[in-house]
Amino acid sequence: MRTKLRQNITGLLFLLPAVVLFAVFVVYPIVYNMQASTLDWDGVNAGTFVGFDNYVKLFQDPTFLIALRNSAYWIPLTIIPQALIGFLLALALNRGLFASTVYRAIFFIPAILSPVVVGIVWQRIMDPFNGVFTSVGKATGLDWLGGNFLANPQTAIFAVIFVNIWMWTGFSMLFYLAGLQLIDTSVLEAAKIDGAGPLQTTARIIFPLLKSTHLSLLLLGIIGSLKTFELVYVLTQGGPAHASEMLPTYAFQQAFQLQSVGYASTISVVLIVIAVASSLSMVRVFGAGFISGDEK
Amino acid sequence: MSLRKIAALTGVAALSISLAACAGGATTGTSGGDANTVTFRSWSPIEQTTKQMVAAFEADNPGTKVDATIFNYPEYLVDLQTRASSNTFPDIVGLQPGALTQQYRSNLLPLQDCAAKTWGADWQNKFYPIGIEQARAGNPAGDQNFYSLPILVQTVNLWANTELFAAAGATIPKTWDELTSTVAQLKGGNAAPFMLPAKDGWLRNAVFLQIANNVNPGLVYKAESGTDSWSNPDLVKALDYWGKLFTDGIAQDGAIGLDAYPSAVNQFEAGNAAMIPLGAWWIQQSDPTKSQADIPPLSQGMSGYEPFLFPTIPGGAADSQFVGGIDVSLGISKDAANPDLACKVLTDWIAGKGGQKLVDTMNDIPAVAGLTPSSFTSKKQETIWNTFVTDWLPQVKYSRYFDDPKVDQAVSDALAAIATGSQTPEQAAAAIQVVSDGANGK
Repeated sequence: MRTKLRQNITGLLFLLPAVVLFAVFVVYPIVYNMQASTLDWDGVNAGTFVGFDNYVKLFQDPTFLIALRNSAYWIPLTIIPQALIGFLLALALNRGLFASTVYRAIFFIPAILSPVVVGIVWQRIMDPFNGVFTSVGKATGLDWLGGNFLANPQTAIFAVIFVNIWMWTGFSMLFYLAGLQLIDTSVLEAAKIDGAGPLQTTARIIFPLLKSTHLSLLLLGIIGSLKTFELVYVLTQGGPAHASEMLPTYAFQQAFQLQSVGYASTISVVLIVIAVASSLSMVRVFGAGFISGDEK
Repeated sequence: MSLRKIAALTGVAALSISLAACAGGATTGTSGGDANTVTFRSWSPIEQTTKQMVAAFEADNPGTKVDATIFNYPEYLVDLQTRASSNTFPDIVGLQPGALTQQYRSNLLPLQDCAAKTWGADWQNKFYPIGIEQARAGNPAGDQNFYSLPILVQTVNLWANTELFAAAGATIPKTWDELTSTVAQLKGGNAAPFMLPAKDGWLRNAVFLQIANNVNPGLVYKAESGTDSWSNPDLVKALDYWGKLFTDGIAQDGAIGLDAYPSAVNQFEAGNAAMIPLGAWWIQQSDPTKSQADIPPLSQGMSGYEPFLFPTIPGGAADSQFVGGIDVSLGISKDAANPDLACKVLTDWIAGKGGQKLVDTMNDIPAVAGLTPSSFTSKKQETIWNTFVTDWLPQVKYSRYFDDPKVDQAVSDALAAIATGSQTPEQAAAAIQVVSDGANGK
């Protein structure tokens, strides 16, 4: 045993910095949150142990259930359109269009903007009193453009999702462009020789070959969806009447505005559980090497 | 399960347990500054003004340093809580009366001795009564300590764009009926007659408190404290009148999706709205210390504005009530490295040379009476200033805040629900009552 330990000591020492960082920045916050979730605590003064009461309260809390529902909307309604539009843009720009570099930059710019800036700008664009959409609607006769998208509880979450798609489609495009560069051109040439048309080549050759890109975007999309905060906060503050609340915005409100850090920690623990369960499910379904493309 | 896996899991569990057991403890520890340095964190006054206040203090007190950081309010709440948990609580902190001050009460030094030492035994007379009253809001029964002292106070009220009013031949509305007819008179142009940035919970509540106090002065606070009910017909009526702002076409389309800062105020300052509910702090747009060329025309010397109180409600109080209170108050950490120096900074900023700098920028209304800006840029600006400090602030009797953050949130949610048609005023009142009962331990 001792000899084996001596043999492995170098490797263990190399691992130590990563283990320490993992313990301090990942394990510790999770454990801290789990402990805090069992308390009635304002984050400053001494808390009171309440066991699982916060969890019981949470699953009876209509706002939490709205936030869960919104996450369920958010994940497919952002990931699929972003991936689809990003894929089509990447295909178009990969064909050596004139000034394609400029187009790439233009489509990618929203992804590098601050969500706060994006939120403020889109709030003005969608302002039904005198926003851009309203003006365009008046000028073109498309009056529906002047709708209360952000102010209507029925549409607020979808309006935010729309802005999120606008913001992150360029990111998906860039991923797909990178993936397209990696496809062996001889495969595409062989398909052409075999008589495959552009549609068949795209659907049956290119799309399957980009499997690892699809899955990477799916995983990033799920994680990104679950931790969405800034855009929702700036566009709607989770309203009106919590209609566009997401788990992080609700946790923030509970922790810092309502002084209920214990309850906010409960929301965070549920968030962690959902995120870990999603990631593990993907690993289980697609295999551990699904991002790298390795078959494992 | 293999031995190796068990060992690994045991290791993780042991590590977790050793790292845990930190949440839920009360915060203790040292403050940020050293003997000659005072640390200050707040969301208000604004950064440029704070710099001037710091410079004024440091110039008067050579060898001292004030390390000041100004945040946006939400970020500030995060910073303050994090600092309280990590034993780096600032020497001086910006606070709001009620819930925020009470949350950090155990970290704060009672300030009445500091105040008496600086201003004398009758120091409370220097302040507007509402500031003194609110400074102790939420203190436990029998606790007469001042854990924070107000630096800026304000009224919440409406503002009119006098140019748009003049162009339409309209007059400032004093009653609800006048408000509806004025809105009808101002409609049809490019400007919103009544711009209501109702996305912000704080603004929804401020407007509602003006309506509620105009319906039945003071009743809403009795409902909050549990001595009256939220289903009292007068409070339901107040909720109903809030709803009428939306259903009767007074507020602009999409009001519940528009934020006050920056969207609505930018539009108001650009002349796109005839009325807006804000407060006394709007006078800061005409800051005399700024280059006047950088100030939009309407705001130069307040040339295009006039403040007025929320119109009276039919069957309610005969006169509009004054609602307002502390904008920001300052507290000192009980662990401050040099409490005397922190006291010196705090009192200087409230009523000394630092305070004068603050008043010169017209950031808001000073908490102490008698401080006047060194210069005015127009007669109208001076008149508006005097209206606030001489006529309005001394009369403010009703708070613009609820004491309990959960009740505050419940009212804010209920107002949003009424505005979007999701709840009737009766349903909204019942929803607030549930939260209020919880807050009152019923």
